[in-house]
Amino acid sequence: MFIYAREAHPGENVPSHDSFERKLACAALLREEAGIGRDILVDDLNGAAHRAYGLMPNMTWVIGRGGRVAYKANWTSAMNVEAFLERLLAARGGHPAGTTRVMYETQQIEFRYPDRKRFTEHLLRNGPRAVAEFEKAEQLWAERAAT
Amino acid sequence: MGETDRDNPGWYNYARFDDYVAAGVDAADEAAFWVSPRAGQRAPDFTLPRLSDGTGVRLSDLWRSRPLVMEFGSFT
Repeated sequence: MFIYAREAHPGENVPSHDSFERKLACAALLREEAGIGRDILVDDLNGAAHRAYGLMPNMTWVIGRGGRVAYKANWTSAMNVEAFLERLLAARGGHPAGTTRVMYETQQIEFRYPDRKRFTEHLLRNGPRAVAEFEKAEQLWAERAAT
Repeated sequence: MGETDRDNPGWYNYARFDDYVAAGVDAADEAAFWVSPRAGQRAPDFTLPRLSDGTGVRLSDLWRSRPLVMEFGSFT
């Protein structure tokens, strides 16, 4: 399930959403251009679901059967999600006789290696100012890190 | 920036990414992720329209019988 949130890098071509109709139109454009085959749900204009789940631009959550959080990652890694789902489903398959299943949780650092060329192409699709604004943001992050 | 501002769609749908970062809202949003429900806690339930047909889909109907994977995203 894909949940369409706000535009993280609005630009001249794909602007920030000023109405729900515009948000729906942007979601439809994304489905076409990115070829998303999964069902897409569209969050409300004020981002009610996005806020409740934590406001990161590309995060993944897995909710276990019954409605409890099983996995949350502030960035999406298909490989990680798939590996987790395998473990989750295996855990439902039973446990050794004489043992009781007990839950615990893990928090760990992950690494990603963004494809800058591809990301810049996506920014450009939103509009040239999205590229300039991201470069400005990088300067701001560098200044923030230096203080 | 008070809660009233945060409830404004114009605040949520910021127009410029550099302004968003300059105001430090990116850091606040990342912090929001860490105070969102933890593993093992109940997930927030919402009914959202499905893009393909506009039908309202309740998340809890999806996770009732099997795990639900939710990826949040946009063009970038």
